[in-house]
Amino acid sequence: MIGPDQRLGGGESLIHGRIPWIAAFILLVFAVFFARLFQLQVIQTDDLRLRSVRNSVRTLPIEAPRGDILDRDGRILATTRPAFGVQLIPNDVRHPETVLPVLAQLLDRDPDQLREEIGTPHGRLRFQPIRLAGDLSFDSLTRVESHLYALSGVVTDVRPRRHYVGGELASHVLGFIGEVSGSQLSSSRYADYRQGDVIGQAGVEQLEEEALRGLAGGRNQIVDVAGRVVGVIDEIAPVRGGSVQLTLDLDLQQAAEDAFLPDVLGERTRIGAAVALDVHTGDVLALVSKPSFDPNSFAGGIDAETWKQLTTDRWKPIQNRAISGQYPPGSTYKALVAAAGLADGVIDPERRIFCPGYTRVNGRTYRCWKRGGHGSVDLHKALVESCDVYFYEVGKELGVDRLAFFANGFNLGRLTGIRLPQEMPGLVPTRAWKERRFHEPWVPGETISASIGQGFNLTTPLQLAVAYGAIANGGTLMRPRLLLRVADSEGRLVDGPPPEVLGTVPVSREHLALVRSALEGVVNELHGTGARARVPGVRVAGKTGTAQVVGLKHTEGLDEDEIAFEHRDHAWFVGFAPANAPEIVVAAVVEHGGHGGSAAGPIVQKVLARYFEKRAVQQVPSQVAMRDFEVDLAAH
Amino acid sequence: MLRIDRRSIQNFDWTLLALITALLAAGLVNLYSATGSNDGFSGEMRRQLMSLALGGALAFFFAVVDYRHFERFALPAFCVALSLIAITLIVAPLTRGSQSWLFGGRVQPAELAKVALVLTLARYFQRHPPGETTRLRDLLWPGAIVALPVGLIVAQRDMGVALLTLLIGATYLFLVRIPFRAWLGVAVLAVAALAALWTFALAPYQKERILAVVDPGRDPLASGYQVTQSRIAIGSGGLLGTGYRDGTQNQLRFLPTRHTDFAFSVLAEEWGFVGSCVTLGLYATLLVWGLVVARSSKDEFGALLAIGVVGCLFWPAVLNVAMVLGLAPVIGVPLPMFSYGGSALVVTMALLGLLMNVSMRRYVF
Repeated sequence: MIGPDQRLGGGESLIHGRIPWIAAFILLVFAVFFARLFQLQVIQTDDLRLRSVRNSVRTLPIEAPRGDILDRDGRILATTRPAFGVQLIPNDVRHPETVLPVLAQLLDRDPDQLREEIGTPHGRLRFQPIRLAGDLSFDSLTRVESHLYALSGVVTDVRPRRHYVGGELASHVLGFIGEVSGSQLSSSRYADYRQGDVIGQAGVEQLEEEALRGLAGGRNQIVDVAGRVVGVIDEIAPVRGGSVQLTLDLDLQQAAEDAFLPDVLGERTRIGAAVALDVHTGDVLALVSKPSFDPNSFAGGIDAETWKQLTTDRWKPIQNRAISGQYPPGSTYKALVAAAGLADGVIDPERRIFCPGYTRVNGRTYRCWKRGGHGSVDLHKALVESCDVYFYEVGKELGVDRLAFFANGFNLGRLTGIRLPQEMPGLVPTRAWKERRFHEPWVPGETISASIGQGFNLTTPLQLAVAYGAIANGGTLMRPRLLLRVADSEGRLVDGPPPEVLGTVPVSREHLALVRSALEGVVNELHGTGARARVPGVRVAGKTGTAQVVGLKHTEGLDEDEIAFEHRDHAWFVGFAPANAPEIVVAAVVEHGGHGGSAAGPIVQKVLARYFEKRAVQQVPSQVAMRDFEVDLAAH
Repeated sequence: MLRIDRRSIQNFDWTLLALITALLAAGLVNLYSATGSNDGFSGEMRRQLMSLALGGALAFFFAVVDYRHFERFALPAFCVALSLIAITLIVAPLTRGSQSWLFGGRVQPAELAKVALVLTLARYFQRHPPGETTRLRDLLWPGAIVALPVGLIVAQRDMGVALLTLLIGATYLFLVRIPFRAWLGVAVLAVAALAALWTFALAPYQKERILAVVDPGRDPLASGYQVTQSRIAIGSGGLLGTGYRDGTQNQLRFLPTRHTDFAFSVLAEEWGFVGSCVTLGLYATLLVWGLVVARSSKDEFGALLAIGVVGCLFWPAVLNVAMVLGLAPVIGVPLPMFSYGGSALVVTMALLGLLMNVSMRRYVF
């Protein structure tokens, strides 16, 4: 094997022999690489390309502007306006020592506080924008914009922000918005929502969420490994939500809200509620609950302190007293008792009952509010002067269950079905109810209390308005209608519920007419208790009511000023007009307002006054328009 | 000494030159994308071009001087290389977990040691023909020649280069005539050594890297993250690639160390299956051509040198591509001619010059 030639020794020939094997080894290794490349780049390429896209493409949702909420004339109650914000990207700030003080000055902020807010982000956090202001005034925005050239790393942005034009106006009807909660996310209603989405959390905002929310858009952005946006692939614009037109009348709503303001500057706003309904359609023309809140404070996310204040306030500003405040109806109940008595035949308009100022039942004395008594009273006088003894007698003769039958007939003790959350049904007591509730038999004295709307009876302002609306319109109970029409984002009608009849009261038209005429006397006759509700030029009918908060023994013999505020009676007034052909009914309650006539009467008066003032103005231009039309015709 | 024989010009190996040029060009074009700044050449790109110039000069020197002269300088060069590594160990600061840079991080002595190692081993096997190396104990000396630099590099905690140096030395084992059962014994010993290494020597992060090959989802933010991002880059290249400088994994920097260890992922993403195969094909051709040069060499020293050069190119390429493809653990081994790195490029070009030298002189004597 070993040749003689030194250079071509055995070693070399061995090397020659081994070289093909080395080459084979090398090629084998590369064959494995080719196979692996084939696997990754041909077989798995779709999957891996998708993962590459997922790496670099982020979809940024673009919030849709919520649709408008309008009053019945199309005036805006809630809308969405642009809110200008300022963001800072730490990585792009070239000279922090000059940028921050300038920015602080422009934003009216303390530079140190600003510096603290920004901190010293590291790594990929340096590329994440930090929001320094969320809702700049236009002035501040222009100031920042005009200095942007000197503010490296500072960018302005614009986002939609809910805006309630009237502030606290109709806040309980409109409701408010807030971030969707964990429990809401797990319910099927919010199946297509994601964490951080903002939804209606009360009132119309909540009920009409679907119509108002709109369609969120999105922007597909290319980001690098640090999360910095380096490009935009495409963008789908959001679609503004549809609009919801309410039956509310902004003018009447404003009048009702204003009516709760104190007469004397510095006194607290009255607490209570008021509802105005169209007696023929059930349209809710105004709905007020006081104290109220400013839904704008929820718009950008409510701060914990304000929220705590709202939820722990002893007067519960979030509660909608008009539909969920349950009060004894007091003397406003008498109109229903009168109608029940007439319908059941226990009284007729001519029957007179003597009022000595009290009545005795089972050895107990029940007083009339008028110490000396009203003397001989018929139905008309009993209602006009609100004689308790007359109605004690009617109630006694009807009995509590008959009374309850008629009360239920006026939809008391039942939901009206208004499309707002948290409506309460009130309470109409019966023998069976008391047995069930207290395991005690009904006692006759309780019938006496019930017949003047005290005792166990509870109604909401809305229920009383519906019941009086039936008295006013001749016996038809209308379901309160809040929604006039719902349109989608292109303005197409989506929903427009027609007026809805709840039922007919079990009282004849003639008997209701008798009650109506007595109620007109309450406001307009010499001894009537409702004089404070008079509107010049309009025939107003109505009834006062005073609901006791505590037993008489706490307040007996004291002047109103001397009674602790929370022990004072609730004041009621329910009125409608015009008395001969009613169009509108207004119910108002003022908590701890004292006597119904003086505290609640003026509220109803102001709403009615505004209604008829507006109607007068509206009629004039339409007559003008008619004349013009005729002139036009003549010209041709 | 610098007298160039006319025949060596007539026999100039144009194929080898073309292969080298093609690979160097591809490497630079790819590096330009991987270091991708939008305005002109990045600092890395400029430094790489400077290294290329220096490497070119060195390659010329190693090609022109008759390789038989180098035999005399093998031992001195070996000693200088060892001393440099030892000096590094004493004076160099610890950077990125290892201590392997001299002159302010410009020169990596362990890279220079490759040339010296190839020369020294070629010289040894020329004097002790591999055909006569039939017993394990015959490997004592060559073993020591390899173990010295490897030991020093391990002390530098540069495991990747240590492994490479070991493998380059092991290339010559392909040539010896040691019976199969002896290898069996070696294999048993090797497994035991590896087990010991795993238990006692490897740091937890190194173990993680090895485990991440088996299961890339294991540690998605450390070494598994690199492997995963590399697989995504390669896979999303598809058949024809995303286009030059259009790979999102590269350009948006999802791919880690894309201009050094994962340079091939950039190529695979932007040039696809076709580009990757062409590149690897060129690589394989160069290696096989190196073996052809070895086979046609007129003397044993030349053949041994050529095989050593092939080993110096093959092992880092295998380790790097296997790592990039997710077939081997993440060890910081650069891909010759593609990864950014001055010392590696200069040394690679010197070795290629040596290969050219052997090729040119195949008919000289």
